Amino acid sequence: MKNLNNEQSHNNSLSFGEGWGEAFVSISTLNLKYQHKLVLKDLHWTILKGENWLLSGISGSGKTALAKAIVGLQSVSGEVKINFNTESLLPAKALFVESWYQFKNVEGVANFYYQQRYTSVQAKETLTVNAELMSYGKENNLAFADAEPILKALGFSALKNSQLIELSSGEHKKLQLVKALWLKPQLLIIDQPYTGLDAASRKHLNVLLDDVSAEGVQLILICNDAELPFCINRFATIEAGELVEMNSREIASALPEKYEREIPDFLKESPVYSSNNIVKMVDVNISYGEKQVLNNINWEVKAGEKWLLQGPNGSGKSTLLSLINGDHPQSYANTLYLFGNKRGSGESIWDIKQHIGLISPEFHWYFDASSTVWESIASGFYDTVGLFQHLPFSKSAQVDELVAYFGLTENKNELLSALPLGKQRMVLLARTIIKNPELLILDEPCQGLDLQQTQHFNQLVDELCSNGMTLIYVGHFESLLPNCLEKRIVLENGKVKVIERILEKNSIIEKENYSTLVEQ
Amino acid sequence: MANYFNTLPLREKLNQLGVCDFMDSSEFLDGVNALKGKKLVIVGCGAQGLNQGLNLRDSGLDVSYTLRKEAIEGKRDSWKNATENNFTVGTYEELIPNADVVINLTPDKQHTAVVKSIMPLMKEGATLSYSHGFNIVEEGMQIRKDLTVIMVAPKCPGSEVRAEYVRGFGVPTLIAVHPENDPQGKGLAQAKAYAVGTGGHRAGVLKSSFVAEVKSDLMGEQTILCGLLQTGSILSFDKMVEKGIDAGYASKLVQYGVEVITEALKQGGITAMMDRLSNPAKIKAFEISEELKDIMRPLFQKHQDDIMSGEFSRIMMEDWANGDQNLLAWRAETGETAFEKTPAGDVKINEQEYFDNYTLMVAFVRAGVELAFETMVQAGIKPESAYYESLHETPLIANTIARKKLFEMNRVISDTAEYGCYLFDQACKPLLGDFMKKVTTDLVGKNFNEGKDAGVDNRTLIAVNDAIRTHQVEQVGAVLRKAMTAMKTIKTA
Repeated sequence: MKNLNNEQSHNNSLSFGEGWGEAFVSISTLNLKYQHKLVLKDLHWTILKGENWLLSGISGSGKTALAKAIVGLQSVSGEVKINFNTESLLPAKALFVESWYQFKNVEGVANFYYQQRYTSVQAKETLTVNAELMSYGKENNLAFADAEPILKALGFSALKNSQLIELSSGEHKKLQLVKALWLKPQLLIIDQPYTGLDAASRKHLNVLLDDVSAEGVQLILICNDAELPFCINRFATIEAGELVEMNSREIASALPEKYEREIPDFLKESPVYSSNNIVKMVDVNISYGEKQVLNNINWEVKAGEKWLLQGPNGSGKSTLLSLINGDHPQSYANTLYLFGNKRGSGESIWDIKQHIGLISPEFHWYFDASSTVWESIASGFYDTVGLFQHLPFSKSAQVDELVAYFGLTENKNELLSALPLGKQRMVLLARTIIKNPELLILDEPCQGLDLQQTQHFNQLVDELCSNGMTLIYVGHFESLLPNCLEKRIVLENGKVKVIERILEKNSIIEKENYSTLVEQ
Repeated sequence: MANYFNTLPLREKLNQLGVCDFMDSSEFLDGVNALKGKKLVIVGCGAQGLNQGLNLRDSGLDVSYTLRKEAIEGKRDSWKNATENNFTVGTYEELIPNADVVINLTPDKQHTAVVKSIMPLMKEGATLSYSHGFNIVEEGMQIRKDLTVIMVAPKCPGSEVRAEYVRGFGVPTLIAVHPENDPQGKGLAQAKAYAVGTGGHRAGVLKSSFVAEVKSDLMGEQTILCGLLQTGSILSFDKMVEKGIDAGYASKLVQYGVEVITEALKQGGITAMMDRLSNPAKIKAFEISEELKDIMRPLFQKHQDDIMSGEFSRIMMEDWANGDQNLLAWRAETGETAFEKTPAGDVKINEQEYFDNYTLMVAFVRAGVELAFETMVQAGIKPESAYYESLHETPLIANTIARKKLFEMNRVISDTAEYGCYLFDQACKPLLGDFMKKVTTDLVGKNFNEGKDAGVDNRTLIAVNDAIRTHQVEQVGAVLRKAMTAMKTIKTA
């Protein structure tokens, strides 16, 4: 363990106030085993008063487990001491904001499915955002007025009357952030704070984090992102079970090498299209009661095109994709053609889905994690959540090949729920391509992956697309997109803002600034 | 209207009670073709109505909804459910005359009124579908001879019917054709296509009859499903409080205990549930459940006899005519029990503790499931039908108790089930008076194994295991469960 007083480049001038130099969190000889594998090994970490840390590292390195150990959600051997300031006005609490949040309905059941939020049902099953915040405020003695500016800054005010089931994954993330920033615990640990947030929200979040830090909240952010709040002044990563301190945030940006493994032969075959028209939408409108979510959408996707779909949180992106995947009940009353057929002309949703490989944060969120890795990937052949039938030999061999390609062979019989989120995501990515589909819908596919995994996956997408696969890709982070994208559609408040050709990758970066402007 | 079953000669009674065929998946290779291009009109848009309609439409069928004029004009919830999901909605007069299949998914109690108003509007040769046979069998509703009458009954709540469908699976489903109304011989093909349309064919379809469905459904719901779970819960709670166990703890153990215990039942039958106990606890639970079976057998038989003779329906319909006097009084009584009024305590009870500290409920469940199953089979109902209406549904009701306790559980189940449940509960509690006097906290409230020797006699254990595992409900269950192993767990505790 390095001497923590060893001066790092604190390039910002924070006033650390009283107690600077005292230990706030002391962790010693922390050990954690997972299935005979040592995840944390004699780990030591001292967090001094006034310090705000970034904890980065590759997927599965034990970042989340360490955070959970600090707040007492994970049993470990070793010692964790938090020296709360008894004089402070801030609650003497250590709060961990998980990157994944499971909510329950009003009866305490969490048996939701990902299409559920598109269906209108009068009997309301989940709380509204407002009711959820009210009960949280009451539980923690918080004044509602203090939540208002946070809601506003994160663009959340308009969602107050939405039910929890109606929120997208990015919006759920924001709700958890709102609660944490409202509570202002003395120690706040956030796992993947930026996941699912659009560019504008990420900037606003950093301002809010700097604000609470100035009020005395100490932060640990777990992520591999580069744009961090100014208050972050210490950097560490977990390597081989030990905490390694870094000099700055620079570390994460080293570019990984190209992935050299060859893709399985069955994925090299070009798709056979039954129609050149993959998607055609004519004046498509979707609304729930008074609330209009999509407004006169006109859009065509031709076979082999590679589209980038963008827009701020809540602009209607996932609703648009749900129409294409046969998941939206209101598609029957719209003029919509999929794979050359008019929607509602006697086809079943399974007829539609057989052409498509899909992943989205919501799909992952609601996926049945009680299947094994192998079964989850195999279920992609039948578009089912969980595997309900035996695979013929040839298909089963393809699953094995893909499992090996994704480096999942040693996990293939493990339950999805036993894996870290990054690895679960790799499994579901393999599931989307297992049948070498005509259309690949990748809605923020690389959420929760580390930089190297992301680059490798995008490289794979480029290879698949070079064989003629059609692609619709949603991504907030400009640097993390595949190269093959050639067209772009931008939504704003449920309307098409831009449809254009992407000339070079630089122009994509502009759109990020663009969407920032849109939100402000 | 005369009770249909009672008009039949004994030969035909036995014949219809005995319709029971667990269908092979090859029977469904024709998919939804028998209904393709036909106009399906659903009457009612509550939980079953909406979710079945969403599934049928997503399977490529033409679905619309018909509601009473007042529901449309008042823009009631059923109207909103249908229109906001982009279904066509119209009055009976507007939609029924063009319907090829009219699907009646209104509450049981309204069936007579609904069927009387839609039947004259139905076109010649159309099909009328039910999801429960009470109206046909017990109320003796006569359907026009040119119409085909079928039943398609998913054995799960509406929300599950949808959730399982969209993940690519389904829920176990019972189908039937009414032999008095199958003039064109198309009933079975349509019922099968309907089961495919809701996804039921992936989780197992049982071909039954209106008669077998009603007589087994009534028996299951009033004895093991609602009746005994209610009686057992109240007696257990009262016993714990009497013996000084913390009331909050007792309330939580009872509210969530049945759900945790019957989750094992759902996955592996009585065997799996009993195997969760230690060896000494298992032997004890076996012994007291045998005793419970002996005590309660006459009561179970009385319920089955009254169901078969139509006596149960007669007195219940009398109560309907009487403004639900008995039902409402009993419902109020349930709301006043100490269990209902004691909120679950803020204590953590881990999963195994629910078994170890609630051995009494394990015994109640074994006794109730086996008795209901045995009594049905003795009365001429086939084992597969009896399995669905006893063991299969127990975890579903237990889940409702975990979410809502008893008062609300009774309100959400059908009026028929609720009435039968109270009838059973009223008779069962006094019957168990002497038995409960002997019960101590090692069976309910505290860990049975505490301070006891963990050893057992080999021969005793072998005999107990053998008796549990070779029971017919276990043998039938093993086959039927295999078809639905993929269903997702619904759990609150």
